[in-house]
Amino acid sequence: MAMNDRFPVYASRPLLAAAVVLGVLGSFFAVGLAAADERPSTEGRALLEHFCGDCHFGEGAEGGVDFEKMMASPKVDPFIGPWEKSFNMVRAALMPPASEEQPTPEQRRAMVAWIDGQLARLDCSVKRPGRVTLRRLNRDEYNRTIRDLVGIDFRPADDFPSDDVGYGFDNIGDVLTLPPMLLEKYLRAAEEIVARALEDPQARKKIFICRPGPKLSKEACLRRILKHFASRAFRRPVTDEELERLVALARQVRQKGATDREALSITLQAVLVSPHFLFRVEKDPEPDDPDGIRALDDYEIASRLSYFLWSTMPDEQLFRLAAAGKLRRPDILRKEVRRMLADPRSEALVQNFAAQWLTLRRLERVQPDPARFPQFNDQLREDMLEETLAFFRYILRQDRSILDFLTAGYTFVNERLAKLYGIDGVRGEEFRKVKLPSQRRGVVTHASILTVTSNPTRTSPVSRGKWLMETILGTPPPPPPGNAAPLAEGKEAELLGTLRERLEQHRADPECATCHKQMDVLGFGLENFNPIGVWREKDGRFPIDASGELPGGITFGGPGELMTVLAEARRDDFCRGFTKKMLTYALGRGVVPEDRCTLESIRRQLEQGDYRFSVLIEAIVTSDPFLYRAAKPSGRGMME
Amino acid sequence: MSYRIDRRTMLRGMGAALALPALEAMLPAHAAAMEAPLRMAFLFVPNGVNVNEWFPKRTGFAFELPPILQPLEKFQDEILVISGLTHHAGRPNGDGPGDHARCASVFLTGTQPRKTSGAGIRVGVSVDQIAARHKGQETPLPSLELGCEPGRASGNCDSGYSCAYSSSISWSTPSTPLGKEVNPKLVFERLFSQGTRPSERRQRRGLQAVYQKSILDFVVEDARRLSRQLGGPDRRKLDEYLAGVRTVEQRISKLEQRTKEELGPQALAKPQGIPSDYREHLRVMADLLVTAFQSDLTRIATFMFANAGSNRSYRMVDVPEGHHSLSHHGNNAEKLAKIARINRFHVEQFAYLLDRLRSIPEGDGTLLDHCMIVYGSGIHDGNRHNNENLPIVLAGRGNGTIDPGRHLVVPPETPMTNLFLSMLDRFGVSIDWMGDSTGRLTGLTL
Repeated sequence: MAMNDRFPVYASRPLLAAAVVLGVLGSFFAVGLAAADERPSTEGRALLEHFCGDCHFGEGAEGGVDFEKMMASPKVDPFIGPWEKSFNMVRAALMPPASEEQPTPEQRRAMVAWIDGQLARLDCSVKRPGRVTLRRLNRDEYNRTIRDLVGIDFRPADDFPSDDVGYGFDNIGDVLTLPPMLLEKYLRAAEEIVARALEDPQARKKIFICRPGPKLSKEACLRRILKHFASRAFRRPVTDEELERLVALARQVRQKGATDREALSITLQAVLVSPHFLFRVEKDPEPDDPDGIRALDDYEIASRLSYFLWSTMPDEQLFRLAAAGKLRRPDILRKEVRRMLADPRSEALVQNFAAQWLTLRRLERVQPDPARFPQFNDQLREDMLEETLAFFRYILRQDRSILDFLTAGYTFVNERLAKLYGIDGVRGEEFRKVKLPSQRRGVVTHASILTVTSNPTRTSPVSRGKWLMETILGTPPPPPPGNAAPLAEGKEAELLGTLRERLEQHRADPECATCHKQMDVLGFGLENFNPIGVWREKDGRFPIDASGELPGGITFGGPGELMTVLAEARRDDFCRGFTKKMLTYALGRGVVPEDRCTLESIRRQLEQGDYRFSVLIEAIVTSDPFLYRAAKPSGRGMME
Repeated sequence: MSYRIDRRTMLRGMGAALALPALEAMLPAHAAAMEAPLRMAFLFVPNGVNVNEWFPKRTGFAFELPPILQPLEKFQDEILVISGLTHHAGRPNGDGPGDHARCASVFLTGTQPRKTSGAGIRVGVSVDQIAARHKGQETPLPSLELGCEPGRASGNCDSGYSCAYSSSISWSTPSTPLGKEVNPKLVFERLFSQGTRPSERRQRRGLQAVYQKSILDFVVEDARRLSRQLGGPDRRKLDEYLAGVRTVEQRISKLEQRTKEELGPQALAKPQGIPSDYREHLRVMADLLVTAFQSDLTRIATFMFANAGSNRSYRMVDVPEGHHSLSHHGNNAEKLAKIARINRFHVEQFAYLLDRLRSIPEGDGTLLDHCMIVYGSGIHDGNRHNNENLPIVLAGRGNGTIDPGRHLVVPPETPMTNLFLSMLDRFGVSIDWMGDSTGRLTGLTL
């Protein structure tokens, strides 16, 4: 079978059976490990030497992968990056390159299993938490934090420049830079926030926690107010020294002729422009100690929790638990996670995590051709977004299995979307849960996703396939070579036949074929959906053939079956990919090879916990990277 | 759409301002009395061009304008079309694909960006920011960064390059992309944060002088203390913070020195938001750029017409396809024609900007005479993704230091940064090299 050698690890039925016995149906990892046990360890090694030796052995080894050095090392730790890289490349049949001698599927399986065995030597009892770069609040976090700090929700950060994105998310410490323009904005925002807060009765109550009187001097009251406000703004108790400096600032401004109120206003503004407010500070006790690993303190954990699940500052209960020194206890952490997910503030996870994970923010800027798709307008654009967010919200709130993302036979629609999907009996604006026709399954067949992965005038099976590989399977294809030829379109294209036929001609080049085979088969499985997600039987004058064959000889007849098949054959890939995304978002840094033990532990917990959403969140929150901090940064992200 | 802007209102406002007899009095004193200050701007368009219809056939004076450049006909005597400039650092040089992200971050830096989608972004300091570092303190704003598309909000930007690379051409340090402002309303507020009425400005300046400085002193001390407790990468973040504080401080002190008459046209109406029409959006941004130059609020600007690799469609010129998809044209005649239409549309907006600059009298000439405006793309042909022979136009007479009206052909592989060095010389910033420069560009004057 032509495609067999692309994902050879799934191919063998006896091995799969073994995996079932182990209780890990379709688990790629289990297959890999089972294979490692069955084979003499030398075979994989010899094959690796044979097929990869020319370029990856000894002096002048390419791509930072030198098997000679890696095999000679008694410890696997220093080479975890290159091992992981070769595991992925060999497994995805991206190595050896198409121009070189290719191993048989059997041989490839043996090589993958052997590399997996090397990776398994990593000692997971050692803590490798990695290091998160100082994160400034992004726009959304700033808005929500101000809302909770002063009690007025007026989104002052909407005027700030947009935050840069790294690893798919806009909360990554390394990428959140602070251009000078932003500092100007911070100053203006602080002025406006404080002006409003001092007018608003609700906000005044939060700020003026005392009133000067016979028993309380003006200065003592001011001190209390500042201590309370700054401690909440800095998300930890303000130090005596910091408090003295704030009081001194108020005094100094007062002496320049300001009123009491103006002095308080200026001092509160200073708190809001202070780096302790704008950045989520996690101090290094020994800043340049290369080996130092430190447990985060309770207040730091409170902030990690609140910004992960709520995109805002900790609430009173988290502060209380932090003050009592209880937040490091796993049972308390789990309890807090459940409380926080049930809180309406967890909507932030929908708006920020889900929207970015599923690339829904691109919806804002897609421009389907109005001549071809007159139904598409801004209203429908919003409906599409809301459907997918409602779906994610449901899985989160009902604590459903994350596999529902792949196979759910339900979704949420209003009248307009129901019409788009051909579902009868839905009237009005309101979104409600409905059963889907058999060909729509899970999030991939939502109109939102089908639209953001299309070009303005036609579908793009390649971008849909690429999107599936990246977002759903967690195995992004490498970028195309610079000289890749584009697809013929227009009149010329008609002569060449269907889109599928044209793409087949396009990938005649072996350099392109390796990846395109994988992408295109997935993308073509979705061809029954037009560029805005409407079901169709024909593209132009050509009937659509949405059947295909996945590696391992697994066939599917259309989009519905494709999703079911993926949920079985690629379940672990999906879980691992989803975990990586969630971990990236939770930590604010890219996932690195050193996170392998963490990922594997989370995978096990998910499997044992019926893949429930809360299990994943709890596993992340109780993991080492979430609770510890290394003084030294790890290598570069592996999700690049 | 609720935030559709009424640009006519704004233009009417500006027209009124221009018609005021006391205009000269509102301009900075030196504009009339002394030699006008020199301004520089850099305009970026994405995805290369249809090269068959961009490069003039003849060199020297009186060259025939090729179709894409025809909107510049009125300005033929004010522009220098330059062929042959190259951004070597935009090539893969072993880093593999990602030409779009690379070409934007290289465009004004001439430096190869480090390939990363997150940790450790790094390229060079851009030419506008080199100028701003040396001369920016002479105006309230050291520089102005404009655009029409916000930084991409999700997903991988380009083959493993951080989105910062494809959405920012201005870099104030090798690791600080400045981004850009895309909302005309916010640009306006930034330019006229002191208010547009003199009385309002006086009042606010008073408050700010006394209090804002206290806030800044306080937070600088905070940042210094904190910095001592942090490791390397975190300290760099605080350095960015401190650099921001210095910019604001400088601005406050600059404004204190100005008299009330010096600041900007009073009748400029405030834009209401981002126009839904792209042409309007480009033009409002151009208006603001012109106003900033005219009022001497800044002398340095960058303007990204769109982000690198932008897949926007251009229905106003009958191109429903995405620009980036089209740019992989495979020499298909139909696609090439569409690309030329997009290119020409962009050049029309460039012509609009030049028109505005030339309509403003300044000293013994026009504002355009006191400008150096670079317009171009970091890619030659979108299909080939190549970085030699870039499509570049230099407009303005640079205070008489440039002889335009010609098609200048420089030797192959001449670094684009050589042009930048020559511009910096004229700007009064003399440095030995930047990026991959090998010397000065000769031929800007006869």
